[in-house]
Amino acid sequence: MARKGSIVCGFIAPHPPHLVYGENPPQNIPRSSGGWEVLRWAYDNCREKIKELKPDVIIVHTPHWMTLVGHHVTRVPRLKGLSVDPIFPHLFRYNFDTAIDVELADAVYDEARAEGLIARKMTNPDFRLDYGTIVTSHMLNPGWDIPILSLSANNSPYYFSLGVGIEEMYKLGRATRRAIEKTGRRAVLAASNTLSHFHFDREPDPNLPEDMSKEHVFSHANYLWDMRVLRLMREGKMDELLSVLPEFIEKTGAEVKSGGLFWMLAAMRFPKIPARVHGYWSVIATGNAVVEWDLSAGADGAGAQLHA
Amino acid sequence: MPEGQIVKGYIMPGMPHVMLPTESAARSELRNACRMAGANAREARPDVLIVFSTQWVSVLGHLVQARANPTGLHVDENWYDLGNLPYNFRTDLEVARRTIDLGTAAGLQVRPVDYEGFPVDTGTLVALNFLNPKSEISVVCISCNIYSGREEELKLGQAAADAVRALGRRAVVVASTGLSGHYFTREITDEEDRIVNQDDDAANRKLLDLMAAGKSVDAMDLVPEYAAKTGADMQFKSYYWLMGAIGADRVKGKVLGYGSIWGSGAAVVEFTA
Repeated sequence: MARKGSIVCGFIAPHPPHLVYGENPPQNIPRSSGGWEVLRWAYDNCREKIKELKPDVIIVHTPHWMTLVGHHVTRVPRLKGLSVDPIFPHLFRYNFDTAIDVELADAVYDEARAEGLIARKMTNPDFRLDYGTIVTSHMLNPGWDIPILSLSANNSPYYFSLGVGIEEMYKLGRATRRAIEKTGRRAVLAASNTLSHFHFDREPDPNLPEDMSKEHVFSHANYLWDMRVLRLMREGKMDELLSVLPEFIEKTGAEVKSGGLFWMLAAMRFPKIPARVHGYWSVIATGNAVVEWDLSAGADGAGAQLHA
Repeated sequence: MPEGQIVKGYIMPGMPHVMLPTESAARSELRNACRMAGANAREARPDVLIVFSTQWVSVLGHLVQARANPTGLHVDENWYDLGNLPYNFRTDLEVARRTIDLGTAAGLQVRPVDYEGFPVDTGTLVALNFLNPKSEISVVCISCNIYSGREEELKLGQAAADAVRALGRRAVVVASTGLSGHYFTREITDEEDRIVNQDDDAANRKLLDLMAAGKSVDAMDLVPEYAAKTGADMQFKSYYWLMGAIGADRVKGKVLGYGSIWGSGAAVVEFTA
């Protein structure tokens, strides 16, 4: 019988393709002179942590695989192809090639259905991974030597209401946790989303996207909101964080609305430990933070009574 | 060189379900209407098909496909189990570039995309499946900007029309779009498919009636309220683009088919300039 699995770490792991572009990895075709270093250095810390933890799988919840009917899981042993970002094709044309943890996919699917959620397994081998999954996975583990599992973002917070969406994500989080435990995996979770999400509607200079003299957060109000939320995370004030997130989303258009953060916190049983903020900066004016909850010492579960 | 003209315009659904054989009566009507649109469009002997698709969503202004020969295999992110969509078509680069230039001159942000592997969207490919099954006609693909409104889309449609005229082309213009956007959030069978609620159905029919009566400006005036009530596909802004291209004051629509796709509204409407 498999050992009981566990979540060893959870990250807010934003996915602007600019971060991959700034790094110039061999998988990405466009070349840059750098840019967005503060966020890229933040990801360096995560990479080191993941190497130390040696997880079996990285599970990514992505807002750029938006599904209308239920929650979908990638369920193909290997996915490979060229992903060209439809919004920023001049920055991101990435050759991806990754193993998928299909046993875990099956388990998440089963547990999601046990929670009463609608779920689907994506079994088309020609499926093109979305750039949210790819950027987050790359930035956490550029060697791609750890299988991933990609979870779609169901449209419920936009189609129904934020409240309905959060409820769904709490269920999906619980389902994911049980699936990890039953399959014996040591899992890293990644909520692939930005914080404040208002952005420029024109690139300052499309011919030099990495011109950092043009990069700044959209507004001071958005900045203050991002800092307020990050402070609550750093102080481990989970109850306050959860209570303020709806207003944060309303005021800043925060991408956390798509569900990944709620999913991850639920899967981690709302840990009341201080999160580590590795870095914060803007990308085309959106607020992005790389944030870590280290559960490797078994610190999760402290907030479970209130929210689970 | 004779002045070009837009010979036909269409509203067509972009959901891949319409390409599949089905026992659903509503779906069958839509599929047959799409086939009729394809036959009529080809009979008009166009040099170019200009497709504005609500499923090609852009954020930084509008994008225009500027790759000479887009080829690839598309898998829909929601409906991947319905089959793959291979594509291989020629772009009318002159019309694409002139549309970009004229749109830019009109104050819009319009940019070309010319990249191997750039994802051609489901809505465009579904429309081309019916209009251009042998890929014999050149194509121009235009994105749907999430922030643009009536004024911008009218200007962009006008830019496409001016490009067609200046280059002496015969063009068919297509808005690949759904109507009401509320849908079933659960699994359904084809037999269960219907417009999810009567209000959406009534609103769709009211809008289509205006089009059929030649009251295109009235229809455009109705769109904001219609879109808010029905969650219309990308606020139904593709209709503005289509009217900008054809000329709202001189067209009458003919509804070739109307029905539901997974609860959302869909129609095939033909406009003859």
